[in-house]
Amino acid sequence: MIGYLIRRVIGAAVVLLALSAIVYGLFYAGPSDPALLACGKGCTPDRLAVVKSSMGLDKPLVDQYLSFLHAIFFGHDYSSGPSVRHCPAPCLGYSFETDQPVTTILGSTLPVSASLALGAMALSLLLGIGAGLVTVLSRRRWLDRGLNAVVLVGYAMPVFLVALILLIVFCSDLRWLPFPTYVPLTQDPAGWAQNLLLPWIALALIQAAAYARMTRAQTLETLSEDHVRTARAYGLSQRRIITGHVLRGALPPLVTMAAIDLAGIMTSAVLTETMFGLPGIGQALVSAVGSTDLPVIVGVTLTAGAVYVLANALADILYAAIDPRVELA
Amino acid sequence: MRRISVVSAALALVLAGTAACSSSSGHSSSGGSGTAAAFDPKTCQGGTLEVLNQDSISKLDPARIYTSGGGNIPSLLFRTLTTRNREPGQDGTKPAPDLATDLGTPSDNAQTWTYHLKDGIFFEDGTPITSADIKYGIERSFAPELPGGAPYLRDWLVNAANYQGPYKDPDGIAAIETPDPKTIIFHLRKPEGDFPLLATATQFAPVPKAKDTGVDYDKHPISSGPYMVASYEKNKTLDLVRNPHWSAATDPLRYACPDKIDVTSGLDPAVINQRIATGTGQDANAVTTDTTIGPDQLAQLNSNPALAKRVAHGEFPATTYIAFDTKVKPFDDIRVREAISYAINRTTAVNAAGGTAVAGASTTFLPPQKALGYQPYDYFPAGATGNPAKAKELLAQAGYPNGLTVTLAHQSDDANNFGPKVATAVQDALKAAGITVNLNPIDDNRYTDVTGKPSTEPGMSLQYWGADWPSGAPFLIPIFDGREIISSGGNFNLAQLNDPSVNAEIDAINAITDPAQAQARWGALDAKLGQQALTVPLFYEKDVSLFGKNVKNAVPDGWRGQYDLARVSVK
Repeated sequence: MIGYLIRRVIGAAVVLLALSAIVYGLFYAGPSDPALLACGKGCTPDRLAVVKSSMGLDKPLVDQYLSFLHAIFFGHDYSSGPSVRHCPAPCLGYSFETDQPVTTILGSTLPVSASLALGAMALSLLLGIGAGLVTVLSRRRWLDRGLNAVVLVGYAMPVFLVALILLIVFCSDLRWLPFPTYVPLTQDPAGWAQNLLLPWIALALIQAAAYARMTRAQTLETLSEDHVRTARAYGLSQRRIITGHVLRGALPPLVTMAAIDLAGIMTSAVLTETMFGLPGIGQALVSAVGSTDLPVIVGVTLTAGAVYVLANALADILYAAIDPRVELA
Repeated sequence: MRRISVVSAALALVLAGTAACSSSSGHSSSGGSGTAAAFDPKTCQGGTLEVLNQDSISKLDPARIYTSGGGNIPSLLFRTLTTRNREPGQDGTKPAPDLATDLGTPSDNAQTWTYHLKDGIFFEDGTPITSADIKYGIERSFAPELPGGAPYLRDWLVNAANYQGPYKDPDGIAAIETPDPKTIIFHLRKPEGDFPLLATATQFAPVPKAKDTGVDYDKHPISSGPYMVASYEKNKTLDLVRNPHWSAATDPLRYACPDKIDVTSGLDPAVINQRIATGTGQDANAVTTDTTIGPDQLAQLNSNPALAKRVAHGEFPATTYIAFDTKVKPFDDIRVREAISYAINRTTAVNAAGGTAVAGASTTFLPPQKALGYQPYDYFPAGATGNPAKAKELLAQAGYPNGLTVTLAHQSDDANNFGPKVATAVQDALKAAGITVNLNPIDDNRYTDVTGKPSTEPGMSLQYWGADWPSGAPFLIPIFDGREIISSGGNFNLAQLNDPSVNAEIDAINAITDPAQAQARWGALDAKLGQQALTVPLFYEKDVSLFGKNVKNAVPDGWRGQYDLARVSVK
């Protein structure tokens, strides 16, 4: 297990290092000039040069990248005017556009994204596995067909449409809920859940559809396997067969899928975030791209990479826990 | 005007607040729930105003924001030497004294401007505001660490172009004199009759040197206006409360009705409009400074009179147009440019921009505002739907009897109304005249990078230009003054016109301090330039924006066409 973790961490570091180099190269060598953008319209060449050097963009690309890596471990001070912009380790760069360290931006957006992703994932797994099992086990054809239809429609709906419908129905027409705004969990847990309820439902309706289909297919496959037939022959109850034997076999692919989805929602649910006014990491990225705020783009991309690596590791560990045949070697 | 087009749009739009729409027909005074006459600024105090915006507020430092007339939200925090007078319609295009006692005294052929400060003006901490604070505020806007503001002062002040700000160069700008704490004198290197209009910008807001924390000043800029920052989370929320040291007696223009103003940013435009239209709970007190009405609400206006009453109509002076690079073939031939002017179908172009509610067909480069000097002309009459026969005739004369193929650059996104929709309308119109148009979409963020560098400038591109202040100068100079051609990037004279007679006329008008005289000359200059078909004007901007049920006096001012947060009430 420990050997596995060490290898996993080294692997992750290599992946992230490569990712940082690629993102850095892509964006810094790209056609947009952040200094020109910061300088504003009517910027003379002389002034552009000064702004460039105040942003540290006048150095060669490789130097910039090395000092970026250095700052991750040792922090970095950007001196300007009477004040020094201090970026403590782990410094992922400094956003000149918004005048704050990238880690500050991540620190304020990650909890929002995590709240959104974890709640949505819990709800969609509950709905998805539930619906999947019901469609398989129900003797009633119409229930199977009906749920299947609902699942397909959910799968096909774009999230902004679901979001807008939910907002109009529940906030605008029925007025059961206020239009959501983000309330931190630590500040008001009830308000946190109330405000996140609609975004969770919106994402869950879509995600659950995929899980329901996956659960249905996996369960059907497992039901036809020998060990289930044997269990039946021993006279085990249907419930024990499903919970004890069928689900165990059906779950692993679902876990892998859910882990990747979790990372996906966490890092790129920008539409959901915008529709529900949640200042998460997706919004931070889109607004950074809009203003060519390169340090934020690099920082968010690296964080997203890290989240994916973590989610994959989590999936592997859960996989081993569910299926004893798998060993983390 | 420069602010408008593209690059730092996100910030500029929130802060300056773009246009809202069509006050032209005297609509504007019906903007509020009560009419302007019935509204009493003395009894409007109380409540919390909610501002729902799309664009993030990424900067509050007065040195770094680029506004027209001081902006909407910034103007709540910062008083400036002069400010827009916040009146609806044509009256609203004039500046008014703010911290200064008058609009300034010009001397030396409008190259020297002298201002005196009012008595009883204070920062939020109770320190009196002096002329040195205004000088310091301007000087720090020159610091390369604080980029982003309007470029005019660097160009206008004597020997200031290379000043590096007070951090590197504490001696300051010699061209700004403060002989006593109440007097400030500006020495310009050329006559500028528009100086009182520029003095509305946030760079003219006082900054107390003792409280300047450089780049960190942005976190809590010291207020001189009716509100101050209570909390500010970048790109998320900005909460303002009353500034106890602001004196209403010295500031008759800002009514400062709400006790609190809460700004939330990063919202979806459809959600903003839905929330304001529905108006549940706090949303009844909601307004927006950057979102025009959505198509679904627009469609409801006829059938829903209650909603129609909650719509503000204003006009921000701005033109969307086709720009030609006259150094590039075949656009060096005036007959080709004229042919395209004749072939254009302004009806489909306006529809592509959202219809006549939000855009008006335009044959002049200056939008139809008297303050800019608007004079009607239509040298290449295309009618409502284009004159392809005349266009073909001109093309034949120019040596293209079988038509020609050209490329039109446009933004890859429709958000700024010069994206694929408008480009396709142009493409269809020119097809009828035998001109095949290939479309060249360019990413919004890179657009001005590409079009603003003469070496990469496309021969024909869609462009948008709005006014930094309501006058012909900021509208025509960057586009047509030959000395404004910048080869390193950031160029807006896309025609690359360098005509000594035009340059000389611009200098002559700049020296005029009487707005009426200057307007007539700017209008005449626009009409003269129009004959050369250097641009094909398509439409001018009209916008419509919603406000909440409890919001009163949401009257758009004539300067920016948007209701003024310093004047709305939620009581």
